[in-house]
Amino acid sequence: MPGSEVTVRFPAAETVPVEVLLAQVRGRLETGDERVRAFLAAFGRRLLRPALARRHPELGSLGFFLRPSELARTVEGLGGEHVRVPRGLVFHVPPANVDTVFVYSWALSALMGNRNIVRLSPRSGPVAGVILDTLHEALAEADPVIGATQRIVSYDRDDAVTGALCAACDLRVVWGGDDTVNALRRHALAPHARDLVFPDRSSFAVIQAAAWSGAPGAARVRAAEGFVNDAYWFDQAACSSPRTVFWVGTASDCDAARADFADHVARVLGERGWGVDAAMAVEKRVAAYGLAADGVAERVEFRGNALADVTLVEGAAPPRRWLGAGTFAHARIGALAELGALVERRDQTMTHFGFAGAELDELARGLAGRGVDRMVPVGGALSFHRVWDGVDLPTEFTRLVTVTR
Amino acid sequence: MTSGVFTLGGAEREAVLAPALAALTERHRRACPPYDRILDAIGARPPYERVADLPWLPVRLFKTHELRSVREDQVFRVLTSSGTTGQRPSRVFLDREAAAAQTRMLAATFRGVLGERRLPMLVVDSRSVVRDPALSARGAGVLGMMNFGRDHTFVLDERGRVDAEAVKGFLARHGRERFLIFGFTFMVWLCLRGLGADLSQGVLIHSGGWKRLAEQAVDNAEFRRRLADECGLSSVYNFYGMVEQIGTVFLEGPDGDGLYCPDFADVVIRDPETWQEAPPGVPGLIEVVSTLPTSYPGHVLLTEDMGVVRGVDDGCLPGRRFEVLGRLPRAEARGCSDTFGQGG
Repeated sequence: MPGSEVTVRFPAAETVPVEVLLAQVRGRLETGDERVRAFLAAFGRRLLRPALARRHPELGSLGFFLRPSELARTVEGLGGEHVRVPRGLVFHVPPANVDTVFVYSWALSALMGNRNIVRLSPRSGPVAGVILDTLHEALAEADPVIGATQRIVSYDRDDAVTGALCAACDLRVVWGGDDTVNALRRHALAPHARDLVFPDRSSFAVIQAAAWSGAPGAARVRAAEGFVNDAYWFDQAACSSPRTVFWVGTASDCDAARADFADHVARVLGERGWGVDAAMAVEKRVAAYGLAADGVAERVEFRGNALADVTLVEGAAPPRRWLGAGTFAHARIGALAELGALVERRDQTMTHFGFAGAELDELARGLAGRGVDRMVPVGGALSFHRVWDGVDLPTEFTRLVTVTR
Repeated sequence: MTSGVFTLGGAEREAVLAPALAALTERHRRACPPYDRILDAIGARPPYERVADLPWLPVRLFKTHELRSVREDQVFRVLTSSGTTGQRPSRVFLDREAAAAQTRMLAATFRGVLGERRLPMLVVDSRSVVRDPALSARGAGVLGMMNFGRDHTFVLDERGRVDAEAVKGFLARHGRERFLIFGFTFMVWLCLRGLGADLSQGVLIHSGGWKRLAEQAVDNAEFRRRLADECGLSSVYNFYGMVEQIGTVFLEGPDGDGLYCPDFADVVIRDPETWQEAPPGVPGLIEVVSTLPTSYPGHVLLTEDMGVVRGVDDGCLPGRRFEVLGRLPRAEARGCSDTFGQGG
């Protein structure tokens, strides 16, 4: 029946009916399987080749994540008194636009010994193509069990295919936002199967104004570079990219620090040649002017098309939606603890500058799970970690067998 | 073409429009709080010496926000545009005065090519587009133009097929006198050429954009040449306009040498990097200005169309002569909040 077929992109093959795909994915791995570790390490090594990592810095980060020592740490970190076993067949639905997310999700699941089917959007970007090519290079030297147990497929919207994959899997992993989660939830899972979902999230940065102004020049340059990476790599649309910057301190400290910060960011953008095209420039004007019309923004400043700074009216709710690549809302608060009243469930990553560890611990405890799953230094927003969105992925990708002697 | 509302040369027009639009800016600022907040936030303040100094609004704000400069009870008509898929339509609020002015000025704009009296009219569309209770932008466009004609005859039947008999009947009645043909550019291209009819007495007015024709590698010159060769149609006028500046149309000159601005309007081409006015010959985003929007702050709008000024005071009509080059693509982000549901 046409329409219930999928194109197998890894290991590259032809188009097959979904039933055939499901019958093909077989083989047994164990949690922390050496053959998977060898394959992932070989794949990661290729991603770190200088030419590739220079062209696609996000692939460098991915390669770093797949270093043998990092994989070993993940496996050894499991420990515990129970026997840890794979879940079985895991169906991954990554977002179409962030090319590397599917690899993190899939790699950790494979490392935990699962058979995997990843649904890669037919609209996925050029980086996904590079990743697939590199996976094939690594596959050539890998144990055949890799090719037998792992599949990356593409298909156009097709409820029959999605339904069959959902019914067959033991765990469904959905990235890509509320609409995707809701769309996938219409498809039933087997009674024993579980859902792991990553709905829409938004993120912010928080900077201690006096600490910024007092930091050595080199530290400020490094932080500005990190902030630019956090925000611009994925057009500020990654869920962990900061959209609002909270400034902590007195009004005069915050004004001074903000002005210096904007200069630093603009300089980094200039040096790197970051720009946005005319369509994005218009998008940003529409969003920023809209905030002003709504009475949320009191000032809107553009430094070229790449950087738009929006000053929020005091007491206005910080905007969480995407405002176009390189549009930052700014707000001042008197103390870090004031974030308690502003944070929402959907806030994911808080990038910070100038705070002591104890202050951050205290804030995390004070928020008590009402929002913010990650607090990382400015520059670390996009660093993937096996604990993501408050979820320990290796744990989710495995089951525990109790063995009492 | 008689001059009518196409009389002002570049410098003269600037001298008339700059103060009129600056006054309109202050008037809207007082009457439309969201507009005032935008201008406050971007630091816009008079004096505005030149038209190009005036603060502009991105036209898409009329889709995302309700912007009106009259009280709710003074709103006489609300116009809506069809947005592209998934977008809200624009909403444009007219009071009686603005509604009357737009109708009057639209008529004045077309008077030069159509004359004083209503002409028999061939509509290159189906009657069903104007009957639909939820009138589409296309339907509204057809309905608006129907004011300029009489004995309206539709080229397509209710099912969207070319109705050769209806056209034949129309031409038998009116084919030897001047008559008006109106349609969307792509429909005109698709439907008129195959008719095998003599349209040499017709005056064609068309609009709607060149995107689908560009896909077939048909440009304006080719369009005009083929219509002349195949239908004898040599009186052809394209126009550019949008619901957010209703009543203002930029009309092609008789030689097809570009679009001209009526006296109460103008265009500024902006470099999308510096936002400064681009000189003639250099493409940029089209900003349209018009004194007609008095009931909503749509008098200075940045469109999402690319265009280029071909010349000033050097064509068959005075003022700027420009060309529309096409629409900007929608900005797309590489974000992770991407939907599986949208056919990805």
